Amino acid sequence: MVTITLNGRKVETQPGRPLLEVIKEQGIAITNLCYIDGLEPYAGCRTCIVEIEGARPTPLQVACATRVADNMVVQTDTPAVKRQRQAVMSMIMANHPDRCLTCHRRVHCMPGDICLRDDVVTHRCLTCSKNYRCELQTSCEMIDMGEFEEPWVGESRSYYEAPPPDPDRGNPFLEFDPQMCIICTRCVRACDQLRHTGAIALSGKGHTTMIAFGTGGPIHESSCDFCGACIDVCPTATLMEKPNKWVGRADDWTNSTCNSCAVGCTLSYGLAEGRPVIVRPDRINPLSRDQICVRGRFGYDAVGERERLSRHLVRSGERLLPASFEDAVRRAAQAIAAVRRSDGPGAVAVLGSPLATNEEAYLLRRLARDVIQTPHLDFSHGPVHRAVTDAWRAAFRTERLPAELTTIEQAQTIVVIGGDLEESHQIVSLRIKDAVLKRRARLVLISSRWGELVPLAKPWIQPRPGHEAQAAQALADALAGGEPGAVANVVPERMAAAAEALRAGRAAEGPFAVVFAPSAVGAAAAGEQARAAANLAIAARGQAAAQHLHYLPSDANVHGIADMGISPAEGGRSFPEIVEAARAGQIKALVVHDDNPLLNAPGTAAIRAALEAVDALIVIDSLRSTTADLATVVLAELPFFAKDGTITTADRRILRQRPAGRAQRDERDGVAVLTALANALGDVMTYGGAGDVMREVAERVPGYATHEAIAQAPGATRALGPAPTAADRQPLAAAAPATAGDGLVLVTGRSLFTSWDGASIRSEEADKLHREEAVLINPRDASDLGVRMGDEVVLAAGGAEVRAVARLDDGVGPGWVYLPHYFAGGAPMSLFALDGAAATVRVRALQRA
Amino acid sequence: MPLETEARAQVRALIADLKPNDGDLLQALHRIQHEYGYISREAMEVVAEQLGLYAAEVYGATTFYSEFRLEPPPAVTVRWCGGPACLVRNGRGIRDAILATLGLQELGEQTADGRVGTWLGQCNGTCELAPMMWLEEHGHWDEARVVGHLTAARAVRMARALRDGASVDEVTRG
Ligand code: SF4
Ligand code: SF4
Ligand code: SF4
Ligand code: SF4
Ligand code: FES
Ligand code: FES
Repeated sequence: MVTITLNGRKVETQPGRPLLEVIKEQGIAITNLCYIDGLEPYAGCRTCIVEIEGARPTPLQVACATRVADNMVVQTDTPAVKRQRQAVMSMIMANHPDRCLTCHRRVHCMPGDICLRDDVVTHRCLTCSKNYRCELQTSCEMIDMGEFEEPWVGESRSYYEAPPPDPDRGNPFLEFDPQMCIICTRCVRACDQLRHTGAIALSGKGHTTMIAFGTGGPIHESSCDFCGACIDVCPTATLMEKPNKWVGRADDWTNSTCNSCAVGCTLSYGLAEGRPVIVRPDRINPLSRDQICVRGRFGYDAVGERERLSRHLVRSGERLLPASFEDAVRRAAQAIAAVRRSDGPGAVAVLGSPLATNEEAYLLRRLARDVIQTPHLDFSHGPVHRAVTDAWRAAFRTERLPAELTTIEQAQTIVVIGGDLEESHQIVSLRIKDAVLKRRARLVLISSRWGELVPLAKPWIQPRPGHEAQAAQALADALAGGEPGAVANVVPERMAAAAEALRAGRAAEGPFAVVFAPSAVGAAAAGEQARAAANLAIAARGQAAAQHLHYLPSDANVHGIADMGISPAEGGRSFPEIVEAARAGQIKALVVHDDNPLLNAPGTAAIRAALEAVDALIVIDSLRSTTADLATVVLAELPFFAKDGTITTADRRILRQRPAGRAQRDERDGVAVLTALANALGDVMTYGGAGDVMREVAERVPGYATHEAIAQAPGATRALGPAPTAADRQPLAAAAPATAGDGLVLVTGRSLFTSWDGASIRSEEADKLHREEAVLINPRDASDLGVRMGDEVVLAAGGAEVRAVARLDDGVGPGWVYLPHYFAGGAPMSLFALDGAAATVRVRALQRA
Repeated sequence: MPLETEARAQVRALIADLKPNDGDLLQALHRIQHEYGYISREAMEVVAEQLGLYAAEVYGATTFYSEFRLEPPPAVTVRWCGGPACLVRNGRGIRDAILATLGLQELGEQTADGRVGTWLGQCNGTCELAPMMWLEEHGHWDEARVVGHLTAARAVRMARALRDGASVDEVTRG
């Protein structure tokens, strides 16, 4: 520890820290327009000048690039300091088109007033989208820029005289208005050092220097993936979220958890008039910290308010008509009770969803098991999840793996088995990139298609789809001694290189991360891959394997709802069995909470037939999903961002979801809907809200805690059970399953930009960028099939057909095609059978591009 | 994953021996400009892949140096000397006359049909020829024709002839 004197006060701190951070920590206001906390100083703006006694060649030094040393005497507020800051700020303002910051009359101006004083005004804070939430504006106020002369007036290169550059408003997420830019380069460094994306660079030189994206074209043609990290650091209105840009001045903030994937990043929703209008990352989450992805940042805006359900609906013939909550609940209860009376409780089945909170899942389980008394309870990804957890239980005697995702950053060796993590679980992908690029970790990637991690992988193992487990097992065998066996589509040298890397990794200390992200389709394949992943972790870390094995489920709260008991009870049917039983007339009533099996699960034709066959289909959802369209009664629920409760993330952290937003009309919180439905069926539930439910959960479900207890240590409460007591290798099938039929193997996966909400209602704008609306075909297959870039093609399998535009892509191998799961409202699911077994499709060109 | 097209493969072959090392970036850009006369977006992406840089970094470097072109060059480039000796001998007047004849606003632009373009040149020490310009034909950068002791009238005549389709040979003969 060293002691410095800061504005006359003694302050103790670690030696060598950036002086600027120490000053800010002490609550002292200081302008610092180019610094990003935690990154190397850039020292380009010079607005953080302070006076340091005895410093050479002058006592005026920039605080961001100064490291604290013992007995340093620092003044942040002397007249000389202020004068210097004003002088550098005036240079910055020369290329910033605002006069409100310096105009002596500004306090008299109101929004909408025409400025009568300054004929050269091209922009004004009063008409700027960032007014009152702008760091540059605050900085100017802090140093009284209004009293400083304006040396740039009449300067021909300033935007007062020259026309400003054109803005880029060509994409749905990020607006770029370069006339506002002060070239602080924070965005450049954020995109490079915080995201490893590098979509932004400084272009030109001298006074023509500008921020440019990619190779100088529009943002959406660059490598930008719209994470918004640059927006968070931009001190001006240059980079702004497009949605709600003009109303994003929040009057309240609520922190909550993203439910668009199992990473569970902590979000802070900014609210204006009770609606979310802006999202920022919230640093309390030790994994996501100051980063989120495009889905977290813009998910609340994925579908418009008008596309959400605000009223409950009851079927009347062909149509669904609005009804009061009481009527709708009564109709739903009557329909369920009628089936129960005539055919017994076993004729009712209940489907939950990993998009629901733990509290809702707990109530749904109670509704199914205690009230309706049916054992048929599942969710559409249930079979995949259970195939994985069965493997964990067999290997470790527990399905609750203790591995923490935060350890990935410290790992020296990382093996990823999955699709494209950048798209499915972006912040985990980011932490892997951190490990590789900042700490030189070795990444071995097993994935049948290209993803952003591929260039970082040494090596990338690209097995034929369906052979991922064999690849992982071959590496596990190689760790046990010997050479890795052959894997379809992978040259032996690559396997040898991977084995070599893993041997070195095993020999080294520290975390050895095996990251497993199964596809949401195909339980058998997921189980096989899970066994291979476990074997690999065991081969690397023996008894401690479970500490190093990370399972990323396909959706947000898969762990939580499974913990709450959303799975078939003794004698109960699993999801595909429920579908078959409904088609056979054995199940006659179906309650669906937040799930849309037509989007989520393979076997669309069978599922649709089942949904149409049941006498009563009760849907609880915030959207009129394709499943809700078939419903007898739809109970309108609040959207995910307005829900209260908790979710359990991939590494079993229990995180709070807090309501950000309120009902538009009559839609209710999920807890309220489920309570009302249970009570209408004869129960007496008295939960006042999610907090009450969680108190009961904490008593009954091991590892869970009350909201109050979770609040004590935000981000640190984990739903773990007894530690693993074994680490047993699991046998794999002798060979990868043969794919039936000829044709190309169909691979699907969670794409980045397509929202669940949009896909669930088959919105044209589910992928607002229209970037993921294509089938990827290897150029060799394409030429065999006579398909060219941009042609419309038909994919056919099992009587179903899907049309898509073909994109030739080297990222898929010869013999398989990739079509995103959420394409056209989950259309690819129609090409699979109900069990999700590997499907082959015939592809034919339909129309020339 | 970007598709390996014929055009990309050609660029890649051109720089195949260069390594991920910032020192090779300018070398790569020079080779490409020499081969194609400009640096296309696609070429920047290939350079980025080859040298382990972000495409945006390659763009930033390319735009830093005014000698690199981002658009296909015209058939003939009039490279006007902006050096001091040429300037004191009515260089500016000559520049303005050329631009006006070609209907252009500033150096660096080219005619809509891509026949004639202008570019800022730097003094190469042959100031005894001032005021001067170079005429360069696309693909023959090494054989630039020096036109010295210019007058505005002669510059206008040449620019007009080039605009109307004459070759460099034709306008410089006699
Ligand atoms: S960016 Fe900030 S300082 Fe500039 S006009 Fe907008 S509010 Fe004012
Ligand atoms: S949104 Fe993210 S990826 Fe895009 S430029 Fe900004 S920081 Fe980079
Ligand atoms: S866009 Fe914003 S963050 Fe980037 S350099 Fe300009 S002002 Fe700074
Ligand atoms: S990584 Fe996952 S949890 Fe985090 S913001 Fe993106 S979708 Fe949400
Ligand atoms: S913050 Fe220190 S120079 Fe910009
Ligand atoms: S100034 Fe034009 S050649 Fe030297």
